[in-house]
Amino acid sequence: MSSSDPRASGLNARRTTRSLGAGFFASELAVLFRRRRTWAMLLALAAVPILIAVAVRISSSGSSGRGPAFIDSITQNGLFVGIAGLTIAIPLFLPLTVGVVAGDSIAGEANTATLRYLLVSPVGRIRLLVVKYLAAVVFCLAAALTLSIAGILIGIALFPVGPVTLLSGDTVGIGDSLVRSLLIALYATVSLLGLSAVGLFISTLTDAPVGAMAATVVLSIVAQVLDSLSQTEWLHPWLFSHYWLGFADLLRQPIEWSSFGQNALLQLGYVVVFGALAYGRFSSKDILS
Amino acid sequence: MIDGSVAGSTGPAHASGLAIETTALTKRFGRQTVVDDLALSVPRGSVFGFLGPNGSGKTTTIRMLLGLAQASDGEISVLGERMPQRLGSVLPRVGALIEGPGFYPFLSGSANLRRLDSADGFAPNGTRSARVSRALDTVGLGHAADKKVRAYSLGMKQRLGIANALLAPRDLIVLDEPTNGLDPQGTREVRSLIRSLADEGTTVFVSSHLLAEIEQMCTHAAVMRAGKLVAQGTLDELRSAGTTRVIVTTPDADAAARVLRTLGLDPGHPDAPGPAVTATLSESIEPEDIVAALVAAGVRVRGFAVDHASLEDLFVALTGEGFDVVQ
Amino acid sequence: MPRTWHRWIPAAAAPVAIGAVVLGGVFATSASADPADKTPQQVLELAASSTVDTFSGTIEQSSNLGLPDVSGLGGSSDSGSSSDSSDGSDLSSALELLTASHTLRVYVDGPEQSRVQILDDMAERDAIRNGDDLWLYDSSDSTAVHSTLPADASTAPDASAESLTPAELATRFLDAVDPSTDVTIGDPVTVAGRSAYDLILTPDSSTTLVSSVEIAVDADTGLPLSVDVFAQGTSDPAFHVAFTSLSLDTPSADLFDFTPPAGTDVTEKALPNRDDAPAEGSATPDAGTHPEPIVTGTGWDTIVELPASTDPSSLTDSPMLSQLTTSVDGGHVLQTTLLTVLITDDGRVLAGAVPVESLQAAAGK
Ligand SMILES: Nc1ncnc2c1ncn2[C@@H]1O[C@H](COP(=O)(O)OP(=O)(O)OP(=O)(O)O)[C@@H](O)[C@H]1O
Ligand SMILES: [Mg+2]
Repeated sequence: MSSSDPRASGLNARRTTRSLGAGFFASELAVLFRRRRTWAMLLALAAVPILIAVAVRISSSGSSGRGPAFIDSITQNGLFVGIAGLTIAIPLFLPLTVGVVAGDSIAGEANTATLRYLLVSPVGRIRLLVVKYLAAVVFCLAAALTLSIAGILIGIALFPVGPVTLLSGDTVGIGDSLVRSLLIALYATVSLLGLSAVGLFISTLTDAPVGAMAATVVLSIVAQVLDSLSQTEWLHPWLFSHYWLGFADLLRQPIEWSSFGQNALLQLGYVVVFGALAYGRFSSKDILS
Repeated sequence: MIDGSVAGSTGPAHASGLAIETTALTKRFGRQTVVDDLALSVPRGSVFGFLGPNGSGKTTTIRMLLGLAQASDGEISVLGERMPQRLGSVLPRVGALIEGPGFYPFLSGSANLRRLDSADGFAPNGTRSARVSRALDTVGLGHAADKKVRAYSLGMKQRLGIANALLAPRDLIVLDEPTNGLDPQGTREVRSLIRSLADEGTTVFVSSHLLAEIEQMCTHAAVMRAGKLVAQGTLDELRSAGTTRVIVTTPDADAAARVLRTLGLDPGHPDAPGPAVTATLSESIEPEDIVAALVAAGVRVRGFAVDHASLEDLFVALTGEGFDVVQ
Repeated sequence: MPRTWHRWIPAAAAPVAIGAVVLGGVFATSASADPADKTPQQVLELAASSTVDTFSGTIEQSSNLGLPDVSGLGGSSDSGSSSDSSDGSDLSSALELLTASHTLRVYVDGPEQSRVQILDDMAERDAIRNGDDLWLYDSSDSTAVHSTLPADASTAPDASAESLTPAELATRFLDAVDPSTDVTIGDPVTVAGRSAYDLILTPDSSTTLVSSVEIAVDADTGLPLSVDVFAQGTSDPAFHVAFTSLSLDTPSADLFDFTPPAGTDVTEKALPNRDDAPAEGSATPDAGTHPEPIVTGTGWDTIVELPASTDPSSLTDSPMLSQLTTSVDGGHVLQTTLLTVLITDDGRVLAGAVPVESLQAAAGK
């Protein structure tokens, strides 16, 4: 601790105006993607289509007659593996990983005691919330793309690849089908925006990240259960999971955009409501961790 | 024992105004009042010791000063601006270590500092790496910069926490128990660091229970007890509120005690071992008169000392002897 | 925390704002300009004179017939490897049409070219007519049925899929308007963003289960945009079909050019008469207008009777049917809010929008 000359001139220059926070967003992404946990989750997601493809390949004696028709069609066309992977991952695996990232966002910082140092830096509470949310969105996109790309690659490796048959019975070329795969990954990302906002809000309620993660994941399951009960039919269009499997509409000819739009609108509603709740809670919260 | 050891007792630059000022600052957790009607005045340029037993509300006060916790009542101004309303313009000028360091265990020391620096909207990106390595060098962590914080020792983390407070030039540095977990070397280095910061005009607000340490480096101090401020001022002012003792080291203890009694003092035996007599000095008697009287009575004086009350005595007097934490 | 209550204002305002947008959207659409006043007769003429035969749109169809949801039941009876599995799946898909709600897309370019898509979850059923070619495609099991229309049968098989559109259904009701029907006009409505006349048909008969039928007739073109059939004693429509979006532009010609994808099971089916055309009962949800061999009664009291099938027990023994029907004098009855179906013990099937007593009487004749 030789306190020789800590005030060397050039280093002490300060910005005169406050930066918008691009640097901090980059730092947030770096922290997110430098964690081994994040990579473990992405690898686990990538394993979903790979396991499906390998299992189907090994037992490719014929159609099982059960499960979505996708699973059968991947033997005819490897490009379907990514879509099949997403279909399998959307109800549980994706919400699980998104719940971990979103639930950890604020509570995790509180838990490592870095939250108070970020706030006295000062990062600004609203800016921190926004950056945390955007990072969660980037993770959603990364997760969906991981599933798609891993699926497409393993599909190409194990199965024949060719023009893709859509639900409508029409056939599109490989390029078109890749665009649709990308759109489906985007659809899945949009589908998870609401859950991310819910997770962010829950994360502001507690200093225990595990609790916030678990609560977020449980909520995603509760929403799907409610969505399948006919007794709660009036609630269905308001559940954030309601359109999760609606990406099938991107596999019709012509593409049916309405579910994409409705999904986006619904998720936006969740982002607004739970973003406002998270703001209300976080901006008035005492940071005592 | 302590005389003259107060560093730069008035400080080089007593800039006008107060670095921290609170009025009627109060914090309640539920029904417990943790900080009660606090009126702190921390002069600019001072090294301000913030004392109090465990649970007396020091950390809670610091959290309110830095806008982490909302005051239940009262006003705060830091560096002349209202908090937490002006938090965005005040905090970039404040470095802080609050109740121990907090870092991402999976990042290296320097990556942690870069992360926290990027959170400061006024910190330029261009000089980030240079400032980070300067701060690490300042606390002696230059060689461990690329080590994961998970692998840091307690004292290394504490040093990293101090480095974080020094990332940018600051007008005020708030250190909550900075020497916690440091080795004697580190403790000394923190002391000299604080002194050099003060020499440059930075106000340092440091909380601690290590009284000797506060005595060695602070110009001012305040004492908390159960959420209330029980004393505040320069160290000299605080000490003068306490008592002064004379200590006579002599093999003729009984004779010395008799002499002292004739002078109107109330001698007793000191806690320290060895043949000695002590008495509280009253204002009417000068120490040299006592020595003369002792020598005249044939007492073999081997040592004579005038001992101003230590901060510890004062602290105990103000906050009570008991070991129990308040609440 | 008294000083920070205002931080919760956005959280309180967000649901209010969203509610306002949702409701505001409703208000905004209902605020479109009302069409000029017309008499019921004029609206009937407007509908009859409608010449729209090129359009595309999305249709929502839902039923509330008081039947249990049998989608799960149908699945289990399918995999249960029952001996009469084909009958079972026919029945379940017919019931599925009656109980579930559907979204359809229709593309029509003149009388010769049309495509109807039933958008199922993760699957789709298509009916494509292109000139003389008629294709039925089901993605859930990758099957296709191909038929070639006889040159002279220009209109007949359209019944298959297009009867699900409001226009087709409304035409059937409007054709049936006779003295036993009161025709009135309600307040103007907005359907698929278009303003429309609300034509209300009220049966004069006391024996029918139908309380009223509301048809929204597009003010511009006379195209029926929605049909709601109300049953006696209910306020929600028992059957509802409506455009949610409608475009009068010519659909892309590619849509009618269907080639079954590789790996599809293609069945060639001749078309001896119109009854065989709709495969798998995927045709008409409104069985009251189903093509029939024997018709008795007129107007709203019409009863249709199918002669006994070869093996009556296959119908009555079906586990699904026994769950849905109740035993009455002379057979089993399937009672819905809009429609009664009587399966006599000798295997005849009678159906009509009438109480069961009327069916029993007709069966006894
Ligand atoms: N989150 C909390 N909820 C309720 N009470 C709290 C909370 N945090 C602190 N307290 C109480 O506030 C009082 C003051 O705590 P504080 O941490 O400010 O003490 P301190 O002076 O910093 O003590 P130490 O010297 O041990 O660090 C204590 O009685 C403590 O129990
Ligand atoms: Mg403390």
